[in-house]
Amino acid sequence: MAKDKDIIDGCLSGSRRDQELLYRRYSPRLYAVCLQYSGNTEEARDVLQEGFIKIFENLSHFSHEGSFEGWMRRIIVNTALERYRNRYYLNRVDDIEGVSEPEAEPDTDDFAGLEAYDLLNMIMELPPKYRMVFNLYAIEGYSHKEIGEMMGISEGTSKSNLSRAREILQKKVMILTGVTRRMVNV
Amino acid sequence: MFEREPNIDIVFRNGLKNLEVLPPADVWDNIPPMPVRHSRLRVISAIAAGVAALVSLSLLATWYVRNSSTPVLLSEAAAPGSDARVISFEIPGASPVTRPEEARISNLVSSAAASESEGQPAITLITDEPSVIIASADLTAPRELNEAPVKVLPDDITVIAAGRFAGPDEVLMASLPELPAGKAEQRFIVGASLSPAMGFSQAGQNGRLAELINSEKSRPAYSTGVSVGYKISDRLTIHSGIGLSSIGQTINDINVYAGLADFYAVKSNYLYSVETASGLILAGNTDLYLTDSKDRVGTLIQANMADPSKYLLKQVGSDIQQVFRYLELPVMLRYKFLDRKVDLNLSGGFAYGFLVDNSAYTGEGSDVVRVGHTEGVNTFNLSSQVGFGMEYSITQKVTFNLEPVFRYYVTPLSEISGSLYKPYSLGFYSGFFFKF
Repeated sequence: MAKDKDIIDGCLSGSRRDQELLYRRYSPRLYAVCLQYSGNTEEARDVLQEGFIKIFENLSHFSHEGSFEGWMRRIIVNTALERYRNRYYLNRVDDIEGVSEPEAEPDTDDFAGLEAYDLLNMIMELPPKYRMVFNLYAIEGYSHKEIGEMMGISEGTSKSNLSRAREILQKKVMILTGVTRRMVNV
Repeated sequence: MFEREPNIDIVFRNGLKNLEVLPPADVWDNIPPMPVRHSRLRVISAIAAGVAALVSLSLLATWYVRNSSTPVLLSEAAAPGSDARVISFEIPGASPVTRPEEARISNLVSSAAASESEGQPAITLITDEPSVIIASADLTAPRELNEAPVKVLPDDITVIAAGRFAGPDEVLMASLPELPAGKAEQRFIVGASLSPAMGFSQAGQNGRLAELINSEKSRPAYSTGVSVGYKISDRLTIHSGIGLSSIGQTINDINVYAGLADFYAVKSNYLYSVETASGLILAGNTDLYLTDSKDRVGTLIQANMADPSKYLLKQVGSDIQQVFRYLELPVMLRYKFLDRKVDLNLSGGFAYGFLVDNSAYTGEGSDVVRVGHTEGVNTFNLSSQVGFGMEYSITQKVTFNLEPVFRYYVTPLSEISGSLYKPYSLGFYSGFFFKF
């Protein structure tokens, strides 16, 4: 299998074949990211298409330091974020300070039977603002401050959105797996 | 990075980590071909090559214009398709003649006319076969020559090409003016040179810098480029040109392990940094775990978040190579203090350097792993250099140069902790030069 660097060099020299090779190699994983952020397949395909155009346009800036997939993922996430800002910027929620985390949680072992597709569907069903914050915080690892800057919201709003997203997801997970016993007992 | 790790977050992060979903088939069709872009280094190299080519072409054009100011060559004067041939002339006892032919031949013709009028033998043109002379601008038609030697009358000939005449030596010698030496006309010099070099550093009073320098070793450096010179006088020449130089250090005793990305997913631009005399290496390759025993390695990974030393990682290097490449524009003066077959020169001047490559890597050969780059390195530097050179003339136009050069960086390569880091180097420039 061709190395990423060879494919990148081929892309930079204008080889359409290498561009397609790169797309075929990474589009399934990046499309999953698009779905995670987009909520529906139509929007996800637009994000993927727009994201790949940006990837190709900026490929010469990739410094070969760090993961190439991580670099592409960041572009896809930023593209999704940009679309979100354009579409949902006006639908802000008020800052909610002092939101507490859920007091008890099931163990991860209780969710062992969950399929990735189930998890993806749960995230896609979240309201956009909750979905974005949950993805950025729990999956990508950004801080609330960074998320606030990226989404144009306050840290407090980010925290409250995350809290609400977790709450919704926990309920969905527990419904799906039937894990309610712990929550009741604690 | 994570303030708190509720289980629900971990479930989703791990569950979605390797999820793949095939995108709709028509997405690829709507992605246009990407434009061809060239890397910065390639663009700079192309510009440098272009500048060098332009300078060379300009000088060649100057040389051509100067040399083409002589009258039309015989071969050029011959009408296309005619059977005219260049006739060679030889003047015994005369030094090789290049120019100005007009003056010489005019004198020659005058002398010949005078000699003939005084009853002395005339200059004779010797030719071995029938030929056609198109030597005079005054001639309207070619003149057939017989096999016998032909007398050339002064009125018929003006100038045209250097040639072979037979005639009394005293007449020729008396009539030929003393010609200036050809060397004096060769004012331009073009050449290419290559120099291996070794760099050295000094820490001054800065203890930490001294400590860092002691844990580093200079990498073999080189400098190469094309040079254009102009001879101001017989002994003084000014040189400029364009070149590429590479310097760097080996940072010893840094253990580098690969595979961290499988255990620690991050979004940061770097995870580890290494303090060096030239600046801070930021390990942009977040798949690497770096460690050392001299307190040079720093990390963004907090101790309570992860401990990479416990992961099963593969060691890919035990030191880091730090490399800087500069595009250089030197301006040098060279003074020739001994003018023989082997000339001796003293030279001195400055070189302006523009940083075009700043990289750090580990491993060797095909196992090289890029680590990152060095922060805090100045993108521009000024270095002074002095040299003592030997120039051996292979031919009148081609010389071979060998010149030990000492270089000192006037501006610091980088600024760390208030210390100015200024290395120096000793190199041996060698190369071929062409004079014209």
